[in-house]
Parts: sequence; C-alpha cells; structure tokens
Amino acid sequence: MLSILTILIIGIPWIGAMCIWLLGDRHPRVLHALATAFALLAAIATLSVIPFSTSQPVVLIAMGGILGDFTLIPDGLAIFIAAIATVVGSAAVIFAIDYMGQAKQLARFYALILFFIGAMAGLALSGSLLFTFFFWEITALCSYALISFHNDDPRAVAGGIKALIMTQLGGVGLLGGALLVYSYFGNYQISSLLTHYQNLPPVVLGLMGFGFLVAAAAKSAQVPFHSWLPDAMEAPTPVTALIHAATMVNAGVYLLARFYPAFKSISGWSIAVMTIGVLSALLAGLMALAANDIKRVLAYSTISQLGYMFYAVGTGAIFASQFHLFSHAIFKALLFLSAGAVITALGTRDLGQMGGLGKRMPFLQVMFVIGALGLMGLPIANGFFSKELILESGLETGPLVFYLIMLFSAGVTALYTVRLLYLIFWGESRGRTQPTHDGLPAMRVSLIVLAFGTLTTWLLAGGFSQLLASTLPFHHLEAGPTSTMVKQICLAPTTWIALGVIALGCATWLVRTRFTTLAEAFKPMLEAGFGFDALNRQIVQGVKRTAAFVQIAQTGQLNWNVAGIVTGLVVILLVVLRGA
Amino acid sequence: MSLSLFSIAFIGVIGLLGIGFYGLMICRNLIKIVIALQILVKAALLGLIAAGNLNGQINLSQSMALTVIVADTIVAVMGIALGVQIRRRIGTLDVHELSSLKG
Repeated sequence: MLSILTILIIGIPWIGAMCIWLLGDRHPRVLHALATAFALLAAIATLSVIPFSTSQPVVLIAMGGILGDFTLIPDGLAIFIAAIATVVGSAAVIFAIDYMGQAKQLARFYALILFFIGAMAGLALSGSLLFTFFFWEITALCSYALISFHNDDPRAVAGGIKALIMTQLGGVGLLGGALLVYSYFGNYQISSLLTHYQNLPPVVLGLMGFGFLVAAAAKSAQVPFHSWLPDAMEAPTPVTALIHAATMVNAGVYLLARFYPAFKSISGWSIAVMTIGVLSALLAGLMALAANDIKRVLAYSTISQLGYMFYAVGTGAIFASQFHLFSHAIFKALLFLSAGAVITALGTRDLGQMGGLGKRMPFLQVMFVIGALGLMGLPIANGFFSKELILESGLETGPLVFYLIMLFSAGVTALYTVRLLYLIFWGESRGRTQPTHDGLPAMRVSLIVLAFGTLTTWLLAGGFSQLLASTLPFHHLEAGPTSTMVKQICLAPTTWIALGVIALGCATWLVRTRFTTLAEAFKPMLEAGFGFDALNRQIVQGVKRTAAFVQIAQTGQLNWNVAGIVTGLVVILLVVLRGA
Repeated sequence: MSLSLFSIAFIGVIGLLGIGFYGLMICRNLIKIVIALQILVKAALLGLIAAGNLNGQINLSQSMALTVIVADTIVAVMGIALGVQIRRRIGTLDVHELSSLKG
C-alpha cells in the first residue's frame, strides 16, 4: 500500500501531464479543472505518506545492467520536499486558473507544471543517485521550458537558455558523483555512500563533495552562479512561485543536507559551503536594494534566503536549514503569488509605476505584509523561528565574522522588504493605471492557504524535527517538541540581537534621505550585479571566440575529415601501444 | 620464409585499410569514395574472420561477418543512390563542390 502511494506521488502528476497534453488547448475550463484535480490528488497522496515515513526503500525495481536499482525512500527529508512540491504546486496551479485565464497554449503550461511537480517529488524520493540525477535534469528542463513559456519574447527565451546552461553545468558534477559511487560500490544507492564513505580515497570523496557543491550552487542560484535566477523572472508568476522560489532552487540545499554526513569530514568543505552561503546572502540582499522590478527584488531575496540555508548546512545545522527551506517555500510562494496578483491588476512589473496601492488593494496588501513578516523574520511568521535557529547555530559553530555578516544581511533583508512594501502599497501613487482588481477568487484561495501556512507552519517544527531524527539514520539530529524549541529561541540572546538588527534595518528606510549620497555611490555597482553579469558575458564571448577559432577545422570536405579520422586512429594506436 | 595464415590475413587487413583510407583521403568523385568505403569495410570483414579463426570462434565471427555484409551493402546502395540524386540536382559528383551544408 505504502509503495503504491509513494509511486503515486510521482505518478499522479505525470499521468495528469500526459492527459492534459493529449487533451490539447480546446477546452481551457477542463484544463484548469484537470490540472487542479491532479495537483490536489498528488498533494493528498504525499500528505498521506508522511505518517509512514521510513528510512527503508518502499519501492525497489531492478532496472538491470548499469542502471542499477530504482528505489524510492520516503524518509523525513524526502517526504517534506515532496510535500512542498505538491502542496505549493497545488497552490500555484489554483492561482494559475485566474492568472493564465484564457491564455494561449494552456495545455503546454499545465503539462509542464505537472511534469515538474512529479519530477521534483521524484528527485527527493529517489534513493538511487543516478535516478536523482535523471529527475534533477527533468526539473531543469521543465524550468527552462516554463521560463521560455512566452517564446515570442526574446528576453524569456534568453533567460530560459541561461538558466538551462547554468544548471546543466552543475548537473555534470552530480552525474560525475553518481558514476564515482557506482565505480566504487557497484550500485548507485545513496545509503551505501553514506554508510561506506570512509572506504573511499580522500581525493575521490573530496572530488565528489566539491562536485556536488558546484551542482548545488548552480541549482540553488548561489554566487557565482546566481545570475540566472533574476533573468528567470520572465516566466509566468505561478511558475516563478513554484519553481524559482519554493521547490527547484531548494534542490541544491536538499542535496547538500542529504550528503552532509559523508562530506563533513572533507577538509575545507564546510567552510566552502558557508562562504558561498554568506556571500550569496549578503550580495543578493544588497542587489535587491537597487532592483526596480517587483519580481527581480523577490528573486534576489530568494538567492539571499537560500544563502542562509547553505550557511546553515555549512554550520551543521541540517534541521535549521531544512526548516528554513520549508518556511521559505511557503512565505516566498505567498510573496510571489501576491506580486503576481498585483502585476495582473496593474499590467506592469515596474516598481516606479506603483505606490499607494494599499488603499485600493487592501486584501493583497495584507497578504504581502504576512509574506514580508516571514521574509524579514519577525515573530509569529514561520521565517522568524527558522532564521533564528540558523543564526543561533551559526554563532555556536561557525566563525564569528560569518555570523556578523549574516546578522547584517538580516538587517538588509528587512530594509529591502520595507522598501518593496513602501514602493508598492504605501507612499504616493506614481502609476497612471488604476488596478483592475484586488485578487481574483482563485487567486485569493491560494493566497489565503499560503498566508495561513506562513503564520502557522512553525507549529510543525517539533514534529518535523522528530520525523527527521527518526528517519535519517546517518545525520544524528536532535529532536524536541515545538514548545521547547520556541522557548529556546525566545530565551536565546541571539534572537534579541537579530530582532534589533531587523528593527534597525526597517528604521533605516525611515531615515533613507540621510543615506542618499551613499546610495547614489553604490547604485551603479549594485545595478551591475557586482560585475557577475559582465563576467558571464565575457565567458560566453570567450566560448564563442574559441568556437569560431576551432571552426577552421570544420572544412566540410570529406577528404580532410577522413585524414583527421586516420590521424586520430594512429594517435590512439600509438597511445595504446605505448601503454601496452 | 613461410607465413602463417594469420600473418597473411593481418597483412591483408592492413593493406586493405591503407587502400581504403588512401582512397577516402584522395578521391573527390563520390562513386570512387563509395568504392573506397567498400574496400575499407572488406578490411574489417577480413579482420573479423581472422580474429574468429584465431580464438576458435569461427561460427560467431562468420555470423558477424554476414551481418556486416548486409549492412555494408545497404551503405553502398544508399551512397550510390545519393550520388545519382546529387548528380541530377547539382550536376557534379565532386565532393569539394558539395559545400552547401558547410557550417
């Protein structure tokens, strides 16, 4: 029974994707209904597996030969990622009923979203590294196709290709790791790596650790691979909320958390993870201060919050990182979907044309403020508890300077969140267009669900920690009831320091006029994204130049090609003969 | 000096390979290229049979050789058919002139 349910978590969305694809674009209403039904069914299947989480494979299919065994293991870590994918996925699909409306090629949109939901659940549930890699690549492919959904818009196409190339770069690291595991253990099972990693030569383990780190950083849009995420904002907003805030970008954090027991012994690995996290949190937070596109601000804040999760993994606080992942998925999906509602009502993403909308959009304002509470890490919202846990463990086990930077980033987070709220809902109205609505019915449903989640999911902290502790045999996690955790967080001095810094960040906005010269001085640097975009462009130019240079060899003449083949054959023969 | 059967076959393989590759490198006429390709494949056939004879699995190598002959015939037929079409449409069989697919 459990095995069937676990397969259904992946199967339902994929069957739905196929049905919708076959149905075509003729009946938009049927498509909306079908997509919602399949997404909700997948969510129910996932939630019903949670009580039966186990660290043993519940599905084991021998694929034969080099493919090894396909296993599904619904342990605490996996089932929570799957739950986020399906539940937030349902919210995004419900939101899309109003957002997409009668849009063209609706079937393609829903099919890809459902395909993605299934793949994301599979990525988390798979116990085989090779199949994790397959699911990993499927999510990247869906992300690419959905970013470029409006494929008549050159910016959307460019953003999609950028995201695809960057995440593929990381995928190579994951594939290399999977093949190394196979060559040493004869199978791809993650559990055999976590059990026997001491038997690996340190160089091989180090190679895997840093290969996975590159894969995770590229997937989770961390410095220096972060620049694909802001460009991915051309995607329809439900896609952004689901893939580029709540699920796919978390895959990197999930990967690091999953393999932390094996990699923590590699010298320099933890520090490297922390450094990437700290740099991403700080730089992306600063860039969010200068962005003028409502979705780009949120994209930078996603990078910054993912940086917090990386930092937590680096300090060994696996539970804190996963808990923040959980909180972030919910409040960031809420923020993105609220922003999507604002965008549909106004027809623009430019913050310069908003302002003073709070009076005309009271409902969306409330939703956005709830999301913002989570993002800033203020009490009652779930982001408060998870962020404090991260900062606390950072102070205990990480270097002090990293802790101070993270504290500063928390202040920056508060500052850019207040700026975003002010530019959208408060202050003077700068837009010429009147908002057409204050959240359409389906939009409201999914927003209310997510807002409720933002305010209450911290109550699950205790259960979540016990689930993780009981089903992750390699991680040695401490578990406790929610009440102890809340007490511990509220009594810790770091919490009050952090709250002070957050308040300071908010207060900075009130006295922003005093910092005008400072802001003007830094603005060009922030808008240029600290030169990372220029670096990307130079790499692309370099590759193009190399390609043009190598093209000389491509004469298109058969005789030259054969001569090349023969030369290659002779060289290989000589190498083989020397070797023998 | 007496040569073993295998040595003779080996010399044959090397010789046919050399002729085939030489033809592919030098010829510009598409028909001649197909012929050179045929010679190249015959070298592979001879190699297969010789290898089978050497390790005593002549049955296996003969069946492999038969498969190669079938595949190779199809290649030859396709190549010549393409040649005929190219001659009709472009008016030449010189491969240096056929650069419309050059990247």
